[in-house]
Amino acid sequence: MRIRRREMAFNYTVLIIFSAIAVIPLLGVLLSAVTPKGDPQGGFQLPSGLDLGNFVEAWNRGHFSTYMTSSALVTISVVVLTTIMSTLAGFAFARMDFPGKNALFFMLLAGLLLPAEAFIIPLYYNLRSAGITDTYWALILPQTAQSLAFGVFWMRNQFRTFPHEIMEAGRLDGASDWKLLWKVIVPPSIPAISTMCLLVAMWTWNEFLIPLIMVSSENLRTAPLGLAFFQGQHITDYSLLAAAGVIVALPIVLLYIFLQRRFISGMVNGISSR
Amino acid sequence: MKKFSRRTVLSAGTAAAIALALEACAPGGSKTTTATSAAVSTDIASAGNVTLTVWDQNTDGGINTAQTQLNAAFMKEHPKVKIERVTRSFADLKTTLKLALTSKTAPDVVQVNQGYPDMGSFVQGQLIRPVDDYAKLYGWDSYYPQQLLDLNRFTPDGKTWQAGNLYGVSQTGEMVGLYYNKKILADLSLKAPRTISEFEALLPKIKAAGMLPISYGDVEKSPGIHIYGIVQAALAGKQAVSDLVTGKGGAWTDDSSVKAAQTLVDWVDKGYLTSDANGISRDAALAAFNSGKSAFTITGTWQLATVDKALGADAGFLVLAPDSSATPVTTGGEGLAWGITAASKNADAAAAYIDYVTNANASQVLIDTGNLPTVPPKDWAPKPNTLTADIASSWKSVNEGSGMVPYLDYSTPTFYDTLTAAVQELTAKQKSPTEFAAALQADYSAFIGKK
Amino acid sequence: MAAILPRRSRRRVRWKAYLYVLPAFAFFAIFLGVPLLQTAQYSFYDWNGIGPSTWAGVQNYVDLILDQKLRDSFVHAGILIFFFAAVPVVLALALTAIISRGARMRGMSIFRTLLFLPQVIASVVVATTWVAIYSPNGLVNQLLRAVGLDSITTAWLGGFATALPAVGLIGSWLGIGLCLVLFLSGVANIQPELFESARLEGAGPVREFLSITLPALRGPIAVALTLTVVAALKTFDLVYITTHGGPGNATSVPAYEAYNRAFNTGQVGSAGAVAVVLTLLILIITVFIQKLQPKDVE
Repeated sequence: MRIRRREMAFNYTVLIIFSAIAVIPLLGVLLSAVTPKGDPQGGFQLPSGLDLGNFVEAWNRGHFSTYMTSSALVTISVVVLTTIMSTLAGFAFARMDFPGKNALFFMLLAGLLLPAEAFIIPLYYNLRSAGITDTYWALILPQTAQSLAFGVFWMRNQFRTFPHEIMEAGRLDGASDWKLLWKVIVPPSIPAISTMCLLVAMWTWNEFLIPLIMVSSENLRTAPLGLAFFQGQHITDYSLLAAAGVIVALPIVLLYIFLQRRFISGMVNGISSR
Repeated sequence: MKKFSRRTVLSAGTAAAIALALEACAPGGSKTTTATSAAVSTDIASAGNVTLTVWDQNTDGGINTAQTQLNAAFMKEHPKVKIERVTRSFADLKTTLKLALTSKTAPDVVQVNQGYPDMGSFVQGQLIRPVDDYAKLYGWDSYYPQQLLDLNRFTPDGKTWQAGNLYGVSQTGEMVGLYYNKKILADLSLKAPRTISEFEALLPKIKAAGMLPISYGDVEKSPGIHIYGIVQAALAGKQAVSDLVTGKGGAWTDDSSVKAAQTLVDWVDKGYLTSDANGISRDAALAAFNSGKSAFTITGTWQLATVDKALGADAGFLVLAPDSSATPVTTGGEGLAWGITAASKNADAAAAYIDYVTNANASQVLIDTGNLPTVPPKDWAPKPNTLTADIASSWKSVNEGSGMVPYLDYSTPTFYDTLTAAVQELTAKQKSPTEFAAALQADYSAFIGKK
Repeated sequence: MAAILPRRSRRRVRWKAYLYVLPAFAFFAIFLGVPLLQTAQYSFYDWNGIGPSTWAGVQNYVDLILDQKLRDSFVHAGILIFFFAAVPVVLALALTAIISRGARMRGMSIFRTLLFLPQVIASVVVATTWVAIYSPNGLVNQLLRAVGLDSITTAWLGGFATALPAVGLIGSWLGIGLCLVLFLSGVANIQPELFESARLEGAGPVREFLSITLPALRGPIAVALTLTVVAALKTFDLVYITTHGGPGNATSVPAYEAYNRAFNTGQVGSAGAVAVVLTLLILIITVFIQKLQPKDVE
């Protein structure tokens, strides 16, 4: 099919405009973050010079080294737990028959739609009486549960499309289910598993409500939460806030830039199949 | 999405129903009470190494300096005690303290807002510890004026304010007033006002000269309490508003309270307040006043150091009097109370710390860093014609004339939310003064009715 | 979702399967399932979160209708659905219609990366960014001044009429890239011959869109609507950071009300009722949107 040149140019114009709309606010943050203290703040303008001091100041005044460590620890834990449990459950849902399978799967699936408000209030009181609010557990366990709905669903879809012949071959060799899963099925599924890990990592890193409610100690706060309080104290100091925002967003944005194909295909396919 | 058979959905539903039935015991049914009966002591060294976690809201310029100094000095004097300071803005402190107090790792020392919304519910939940024993030990009960101590009192059930146990002491005195720019008033040949009428008479003149009369920003919602508070106090008088806040009588729909609301609306209509104030932060509003862009701003004594630094000799502070009276009245009292959490294992050290940051010695540090201590030293004589001198004399005359009205948000457990939202609606003309008053009264009478 | 069902060679029940499912299910039950039921239970009590509770019957639900503040919060959520879902979906559809004739373009992956970028940024960062953009000297007012519209510059998040649309437009910004990416990849799956033969028959762009593109996009549209509508109803972070529900209660939404009532003002029962209704709304709307899905996808 021949596409007229003018049509093509128009298409590009539309795409460029909307990409710009998506990116300009974020560029504004970057600009603002390197704007020296004396410059007018809050707007979108070229800074008079490049001042990386905002990052240093935000990092130190906002205790971001502590917050980033917390976030990293929580994110890694949630990803590891989710991956293991999703792989196991996904395998069973995809490849085994058992009574109540559909009911169980349906319940897990409902977790994809639940707003956090649906369970967070009693969960807070439950965890408090168990004595684990204000610990990393109160962040890791609920967020793992939240991620499982997606994880199980994702792994089940992955395992269902796994070539039947390879599995049967494994079975004939006398491999148990357990061996079959870890030795035959999981290794070729690593790309799909890592896509899931990326998405779960992103959602966990960016989570706000659960840390807001579950922890109150300074050293347990996660980066987004730290940013929220930092904003409360420096409400008009836009450059400092922008620098802090860049710090908080950076890890996931870096992952995204390097692995963007995986992110996008994961989100488009993963969420599409919801 | 996969279609599920009706049977599947039904069985899931049945399982859910069964689980619900199993769970059918009322929330919050059992509550273990922890009795604190240990003897109190000023000896904190014998407890060995102690870490005190302290939550304060001392983020503004002057008080932050003072707190940093006091903490450092305390740790130097008590090398075995380490202070972990957690600072939150007032709004963030309000939204997080309740959750923090109920966790097992609650902080040791916290700044608690007085009144029903915060202190009342903490007392009811036995989250903070009565400090009457320490008050005796450290002489707080005689150091502070009775009426200020009463602000920090609650009955043990958390239902009656200003009676019963003491739950903390305050570090700073607070009152809301008018900061004014002496130079601007002089340039316009205007005199600083004394009464609310005199003040209102100035506003059109300032406006006519092309100057913003009152810089006001209310993004954080709490400034709304202050601006309505001082107008209401000046129009209704101290006794009426005091009775209202403390639940002794009156209604928010009384004439003078409605009139106060009408006054604010008039100020908005005539352009006496910063436009779009609901979108301007308190910091931005103060910065505008500090850079000479308005003649007045309405805020509390906690901004003393910030204003002093910016305007120096041009800065003045005053408290308005009702037309019929010579005594200035305003809203205020004292800063948030420093309390000890029920969960703290180091109550002795916590009390020693609270004493250290509030006692006479601390008062001097507070004064030196540009703050108003709860109990200023008897011989306090700031340099005349300074902002500090204005604040000192206002503080004295308001207290001597007992013209202090407690903050309005103390009134009911939900009043902070109700009042701050209503003031924003009032100044943005979403609610008429009568509707404003009715909204406050609805919250108020529901609470008074329940009591 | 996988279109081909695996051939099941043996239909024997494997009890060991429960062991595989158990960890995930236990997590789900303890941290989501049981608390979900407790939320429903809480909603029938009057409880301040600290003392003992008293049975309140359906009072908390009655209040959802009687209490203007609560009623408004649901109305606000409805308005947010317009901004979060309707605006980006319609806009993205229009754009897709315009550019579908040249669906295979070079450099698409770069555009996709940029369009998708807002999705990976933490909502707290997005919110603080937009607070600056809407501030009195922020980007929006700068642009207005640049084109001589000084008179309508304002503090966008502080005005009763402007705050909710301002929050809503953040949602539109978040959604537009997502919808575009979804629709463009949907169009890419359409066989080019369809367009070609339509053109040979002399179909104009409108006919082409209505008879080829739109039907092919039913799946992606349903997905986009589900995601954006649920995002609108779940909105919490954006409101918490940008406005705290203000000015007045102009931007309070159910999720924020539930949080504020449960953890700030000591109205846990009422918070539970808000949460229950919100959850039901989300479930019902999702099921409804799923009906749009073409039937052949499982």
